[in-house]
Amino acid sequence: MNFINDLLKIIGDFIAGIINSIFGFSPFLADLVTMGLAAVILCTFAALSFMGLTYVERKVVARIQDRVGPNQAGPLGLLQPIADGIKMFTKEDTTPAAADRWVYNLAPLVIAVFALTTYAVLPFAPDVVGTNLNVGVFYIIAVGSGSIVAIIMAGWGSNNKYALLGAFRTVAQLVGYEVPMLLNVLPVVMLAGSMSLVDIINQQTTLNGNPGIPFIVFFPLSALVFLISGIAETARSPFDLLEAESEIVAGFHVEYSGMKFALFFLGEYVNALAVAFVFSTLFLGGYAGPVLPPYIWLLLKAAAVFFVFMWLRGTLPRIRVDQMHNMNWKFFVPVSIVHLVVVMALLKLFVTNPAMAQANGGILVTPGVQAAILFTASMLILIGSLMIAARRARIMRLQEEAVLEQRRAENIAAVSA
Amino acid sequence: MTIHQVLFIVIALAILGAAIFVVTTSNLFRAALMMILTFFGVAGLFVLLDIGLFAVAQVLIYIGAISILVIFAVMLTRGMQGMVPRNSQAVAAAVVAGIIFFVLLLLFGPLRTTIDVARWPIVSLFARNVSPRDVGGVEWIPPGQPIPAVPETYIADFGRALVDLNQYLLPFLLIAFLVDVVLAGAIFIARQRRPAEVIEDRQRQAEEAAEEAEAMRRAGMTPDVAALPEGAVASTAEH
Amino acid sequence: MRTDFAFVGVMLVTAALLMGVTLVAASLLRPKKPSKAKLETYECGMETVGDTWVQFRVQYYILALVFVLFDIEAILLFPIAVAFNSLTFFAVANVILFIVVLLIALLYAWRKGALDWE
Repeated sequence: MNFINDLLKIIGDFIAGIINSIFGFSPFLADLVTMGLAAVILCTFAALSFMGLTYVERKVVARIQDRVGPNQAGPLGLLQPIADGIKMFTKEDTTPAAADRWVYNLAPLVIAVFALTTYAVLPFAPDVVGTNLNVGVFYIIAVGSGSIVAIIMAGWGSNNKYALLGAFRTVAQLVGYEVPMLLNVLPVVMLAGSMSLVDIINQQTTLNGNPGIPFIVFFPLSALVFLISGIAETARSPFDLLEAESEIVAGFHVEYSGMKFALFFLGEYVNALAVAFVFSTLFLGGYAGPVLPPYIWLLLKAAAVFFVFMWLRGTLPRIRVDQMHNMNWKFFVPVSIVHLVVVMALLKLFVTNPAMAQANGGILVTPGVQAAILFTASMLILIGSLMIAARRARIMRLQEEAVLEQRRAENIAAVSA
Repeated sequence: MTIHQVLFIVIALAILGAAIFVVTTSNLFRAALMMILTFFGVAGLFVLLDIGLFAVAQVLIYIGAISILVIFAVMLTRGMQGMVPRNSQAVAAAVVAGIIFFVLLLLFGPLRTTIDVARWPIVSLFARNVSPRDVGGVEWIPPGQPIPAVPETYIADFGRALVDLNQYLLPFLLIAFLVDVVLAGAIFIARQRRPAEVIEDRQRQAEEAAEEAEAMRRAGMTPDVAALPEGAVASTAEH
Repeated sequence: MRTDFAFVGVMLVTAALLMGVTLVAASLLRPKKPSKAKLETYECGMETVGDTWVQFRVQYYILALVFVLFDIEAILLFPIAVAFNSLTFFAVANVILFIVVLLIALLYAWRKGALDWE
């Protein structure tokens, strides 16, 4: 059982051992080769999961919409990703004469590289992690801002009005939803007392006398807002405003085709999968779980989160630009801030650590009670804010209707006069 | 040379090259992109200094936010493409920047340990009894001495220092107020300027159209070609 | 610490190399027959009119500015969150004051209509 549980680590140690014995003359070179190999493996994993996900997503969305999905290439259409790959490789691809060649050609590379770099800090099993940065969560969000730069590069480099408009729309969306994302990671960091993803997972296991409660129980509101912001950050449906064909054809990548387009696509999927992984790590306990080996648990959790993404994509219509901005700035951000303040106060009032309770005061409770208190507060804020928002929306709708009614009356008066 | 020194030289050269490109190019957008590269280089320097938190914050704030702000500001200016923006005060700016750099080098740089600049007539007014640490700088470590390691808990230490009354609590709270003022000012300017800008823009467009029509007439073209929107005229002229 | 970030650097370089190789391989494999019509700027079959550099609305700038403010707020809050368990009541009260002051900025922007997207 141990062998299966630590399978990834055993394989990794085995390969590292071989490399160390080959490059025994220089520890520096051995380290470099080991890291390079690990990086190649991570990139390959990301690229392969991208290929798999395109197929799975098309099948699942097709099922939701009562279609069959890809079924021609191979049994059940399983060879579809390979067919797509061949097509992307051999498709002619033009650089528009008006484009800024350097910027235009670099943009897909930049987006793919930044998307892949996210995987450097994801823990897949105990001791199986690219690098355990002590700023892990922070790093993931920061790397995400690299794709913003790539999108602006693509939009401007194409020298096309649609591309530029699409890029600006996308950037306004991405930077906007970064705020609730940051604000909702904060409660997790506060409770875990660390930004390292490994530490955050350890806090959710029964290791070192931790209670073993996943953070989603402590912060359901944060989890919800983080998930939705994550979908918006990766610009997936229903937040795929950049792809609004009827308005701006395909947004910032309208001039791209062939492999360059494929890299944009890869960036999008790899980022979405990274969000699924990060969500499982922050709120669902990452690789922690009974019976099954840790990496299987992580994959299961991430797959479940990604299924929610696909489900939403297959079900919801695309939202409007103003709705998207309103939802972020007038709902998510204020609610997250209020939630943050409440969490801060509650975490100081109800402490689980006896030493802290003695030093700073506060009521000593068990982790279970703390979780229950935070859960209740979170839910109250969520329900309250939803009720306020619904009321405001109703008032605004009534006002709009009143204005329309008045206009209609004026029209009738004008016609009859 | 250690690997850190090699990396430092590579990153420093990249920063310098990109910075020179930023101030010399006439393409505003490319200048902004190169500025992003310099920011990225600075993040690399922070990593070499062993403070990952600042490196990541540098990427998040400067690449993810400030440069986006700069690019949006560039895009707000209309009709910059035909123009070649030139800085008429380039030499003066270079001289001032050089002087500031020299002063900083004297106050906080390696020369500080060999020449006691703190005793110089004017400098003494500012630098008397002030160690670099007091003004947010770092102590210069003489060559050959080991560089003290950054403690493992530096993130939590920094967090505690931010809310410690004896350390950075006041600046921390001032940031919040500063940010409020900045936002209020920006909203005020954007709101007030809008109608004026529109009028100015319309005036300029009318003037341009008049000039174009004049040029067309001089070239002996029929007036109804000149009546087309300017873009259409330009594109037919290209083909 | 520095070795922690070494992997990030290796990852950046590796990813850039792999993706670069993919791009180069694709450029070798694919046909290349550019023509004048193909290289035109795409605009639903029409010829493009005027500059690409259209003037953008001030709205984008204001939103970006609001974003910068909250970005700075969040970044300052992260180290505090890491140290949260050892903070005193007084410190936490100050942090809450900091957040509330920024919330006021958001409400001001909201009131002034800077967050409206017509």
